[in-house]
Amino acid sequence: MSRPNAYKTAAKIAWRETRASSGRFLFVILAVAAGVGSLTGVRGFSRAFHTMLQRDARTFMAADLSVRTFQTATQPQTDEMNALAKQGIERTQITETLTMALAPAGDAPVLLSVKAVDPAVYPFYGTVTFNPPMDIKTALQPDTIAVADGVLLRLNAHVGDTIRVGGQPFRISAEITNEPDRMTGSLNVGPRVMMSRAAIDRTGLLVAGSRAAERYLFKVPADLQIATVREDLHKVFRDALIADYSQAHPLIEQGLRQSTTFLSLVSLIALVIGALGVATAIQAHLEQKMDSIAIMKCLGARSAQVLRIYILQTAGLGVAGSIVGIFLGSLVQMAFPLFLSRYFQVSMAPRFDIVSALQGLAVGVLTILLFTVPPLLGIRHIRPALIFRREMSAPPLSLREWWNRIAGSLISGVVILCFVGLLAAWLSENAKTGRYFAAAIAGGIALLGGVAWLMLRGLRWVSRHLPRSAGPVIRQGIANLYRPGNHAGAAVMALGVGVMFTVTIWSVQRGLLRDIIRTAPPGMPNVYLLDVTSANRDAVDKLISAQPGVLGTPEMLGAVNAQIESIDGVPFLRENLRGVARRYSRTVSVSPAASKPAFTEIVAGQWWAANDKPAVAELSVGESAAKILNLHPGSTIVWTTPLRTFTSKVVAIHKSESVRLSARIEFFLTPAALQGLPAIYYAGIRAAPAAVPAIQKAIYEKFPTITVVNMAEVLDTIQGVVDQISLVVRFISAFSILAGTVILASSVAGTRFRRIREVVILKTLGATRKRIGRIFSVEFLVIGLVAGLMGGLLAGGFAWAALNRLLNADTPPDLVPVMGSIAGTAALAVATGWLASYRTLGQKPLEILRDE
Amino acid sequence: MEILRGIDIAIPKGQFVAIMGPSGSGKSTLLGLLAGLDNATSGALLLDGVDITGLSEDQMAEVRGRKIGFVFQSFQLIPTLTAEENVLLPAELAGAGPEVTSRARALLTRVGLADRLDHYPVQLSGGEQQRVALARAFITKPPILLADEPTGNLDGKTGQQVLELLLELNHQEGATLVMVTHDPALAEHADRIITLRDGLIVSDVMTAVESAAG
Repeated sequence: MSRPNAYKTAAKIAWRETRASSGRFLFVILAVAAGVGSLTGVRGFSRAFHTMLQRDARTFMAADLSVRTFQTATQPQTDEMNALAKQGIERTQITETLTMALAPAGDAPVLLSVKAVDPAVYPFYGTVTFNPPMDIKTALQPDTIAVADGVLLRLNAHVGDTIRVGGQPFRISAEITNEPDRMTGSLNVGPRVMMSRAAIDRTGLLVAGSRAAERYLFKVPADLQIATVREDLHKVFRDALIADYSQAHPLIEQGLRQSTTFLSLVSLIALVIGALGVATAIQAHLEQKMDSIAIMKCLGARSAQVLRIYILQTAGLGVAGSIVGIFLGSLVQMAFPLFLSRYFQVSMAPRFDIVSALQGLAVGVLTILLFTVPPLLGIRHIRPALIFRREMSAPPLSLREWWNRIAGSLISGVVILCFVGLLAAWLSENAKTGRYFAAAIAGGIALLGGVAWLMLRGLRWVSRHLPRSAGPVIRQGIANLYRPGNHAGAAVMALGVGVMFTVTIWSVQRGLLRDIIRTAPPGMPNVYLLDVTSANRDAVDKLISAQPGVLGTPEMLGAVNAQIESIDGVPFLRENLRGVARRYSRTVSVSPAASKPAFTEIVAGQWWAANDKPAVAELSVGESAAKILNLHPGSTIVWTTPLRTFTSKVVAIHKSESVRLSARIEFFLTPAALQGLPAIYYAGIRAAPAAVPAIQKAIYEKFPTITVVNMAEVLDTIQGVVDQISLVVRFISAFSILAGTVILASSVAGTRFRRIREVVILKTLGATRKRIGRIFSVEFLVIGLVAGLMGGLLAGGFAWAALNRLLNADTPPDLVPVMGSIAGTAALAVATGWLASYRTLGQKPLEILRDE
Repeated sequence: MEILRGIDIAIPKGQFVAIMGPSGSGKSTLLGLLAGLDNATSGALLLDGVDITGLSEDQMAEVRGRKIGFVFQSFQLIPTLTAEENVLLPAELAGAGPEVTSRARALLTRVGLADRLDHYPVQLSGGEQQRVALARAFITKPPILLADEPTGNLDGKTGQQVLELLLELNHQEGATLVMVTHDPALAEHADRIITLRDGLIVSDVMTAVESAAG
């Protein structure tokens, strides 16, 4: 006889076993699929997005190279760009700013993000598309604009209508349906208005000091090195953000990397919960297979042979689950562009990413195998005599045997934790994160397991002490939780973890927004005016004060753009700076202040007297800037402005209430120092909410170039962004709830035969279907309530800690998510439990009893 | 608790021994010891002249795989395998190649189940299940066959048919057969009857069958 490979034989037997009980393994496959699906979905999308960024980098930039700055080019910069043009490098300028627009019949102007381009040149790559279709030169005439659908919606306008931007009328020529460099743009706060450079000049929006972002796009001939051109530009644009297509967009890439890491770890939690579920299911499966294993041992199978059969079976289930998961992952991958559509025009054709699929497969199978090692090792302890003489009790374990079993479990536990840690480290590309993740998982599972155990024990005690009047339904429903083979503890824990995670995210999101709204002190401005010029300053002040509904005195601060040249005689050069200090190497806002602004307090030194005219300008520096730049009273700073360079001496360090306008300015100077320099003023007004649209309209009518920001709208925008981020995280964390429900379903299905027996016995004793249904409902309801209570309370605690300790918010505990999670989980558990067991209710007693 | 005491028996090759006795007399324990499913607290057990006392569980499993075939009272088929797969199992566990399939089919044909190869145990009657178990017991051509109340779960007629098959197969395969039974009519077919009571051998007699043969 030729001896076949031992694994081949084991695989054959494993396959036969699995084939006959495929229904039972459905839950195992689903639990694996939930974890693998979220992981491959996140990673697949991330890779596809990254590939798209790389592949279409030129299109996303609309150029080969871009320079972004917040100032118009200086003469040396323009000279350098002209010199590059002589080498055949094409260039176009894009200006982006914010402004207000009003529809003819509109009540209040709307904040828009304006982009001015040269339609003859822009874009170098990609195409701007419009509805109705037309070319960009036709769409962008000096008296026409193209707008995003958001503008039409918010102004209640249509293509062909005329709206006023910066006080000038413009006809809407078309709706913008695609703008290639939308995601690499700046100041994308409001919906987009695109106009030609000739058109923006008509508006008068751009004056010295206005808050506008300039982007210079370059198209570099193929024979020139991009890196050399970049180097040349860097020499003159030292503060600008220069990017070329090879790196697409560094900020987006960084954001993508961080989100991928975070979401991968969230997915890993779903996978770990799924794996715990699989381990529970395999244990239940092996408990039912004890007879078969004993028979095999009787027929000559060694433990290693049986172990091989079940390891291969588990691996096969892992592969099957992972394949379903990969399919699920491609659906997740397709869902992501929907989440991002508000921010990016992501046109990704769904495609199968083999790398993430293989990663998901490997991670899924390895995780399942490792988590099922402890129950599988139990095969060694199944004695063949079990089948031969059932009454033969197992001999008591010696201390050594007992220790061997404990040691086996401990070693498996440590190996599993190390594996989870390694997996987390790989997913996050950070060893420390891996260690923390493994520790958190171990701690979390131990904590939740402990709490679940305590709650279930407590409940058992309560059910035993219930008065007779409580009736048999509740007592029996609770007693069912302790039915042999009913892994109520595992189901509660798995569901609890999922609920805890999802509800924590929800609570933090709610808490953040509530904190922003709640902590706004009385009198805090709710309307801000931007880009008020020196010439308009007094008239604006007068106009505001005359408006009905304005409460208190408006705050108004001027700002001049200046650059730090040296501190205490040491040249202030970007290359010598590290971290956040680099921020100060760019242009900063300095403000003239005769006296200490309201809501500001001095923490060191002394503010100057209102009528002081010192020989050297005096300066007060915000606390955090002073710390970063190592400034203290007595330090000197030399400033450069477009018109002159001057020296100042630090006399005070101040701090302002973070919600006040003055907190936006970190450097206050004695007014004489800034005399004659172009200043732009900002105002903060507290107004009755109902009066805000009228104030906006009044200011717009008189000063159409001033941007009026209604904080209510800003809060809406913040809420939109927070909602969107939270939605993505909840979407992924919901996979852990899915894994939890699968475990519950699997636990219920695993006790099917015991349930059927109970049903028929109860029916024989006269119980109606309705009553049995109530008993089962109590059981599922209790699992859901306990999981929801545990997950909800822990989530409430974690969210409170995250908000108050990490995010420095000041929020009271929020009970709504806790209550929501209890009710939601209870409903979910009852639905899942019934889905897995409704067929048992229909069993006819005689059919079952006759077979016994 | 002491279940068996002072047992000292030798079973020669090819002999058919029936072990009888009331419930709790230690019959099945003796069979379990013979199969190496349990270890005796004292004494020795020699199989083919080799002392199997103190072998590890895996070593014992290997011995069983090579030398012992089993027939149980409650058939003990694996419910997730078909009739043919159940028969093939011991041979496959012992490392047999695909050629064993033809022997499995031949054995199933001999027990009258040629048309039931792909049936699962639940789809077979009790008698059919026990016939599958018989085929399984002989698949590895074991020199020893242990049977624990092989007709105990069957009605009289089916039990008789199964017994006839068992004896016929045993005769063809030439194995030593040790059978535990309550049924004196069944024991009459044996060469030798050992009777146990309270863990002691109270009688060990050769039957008329053996005497006639001898």
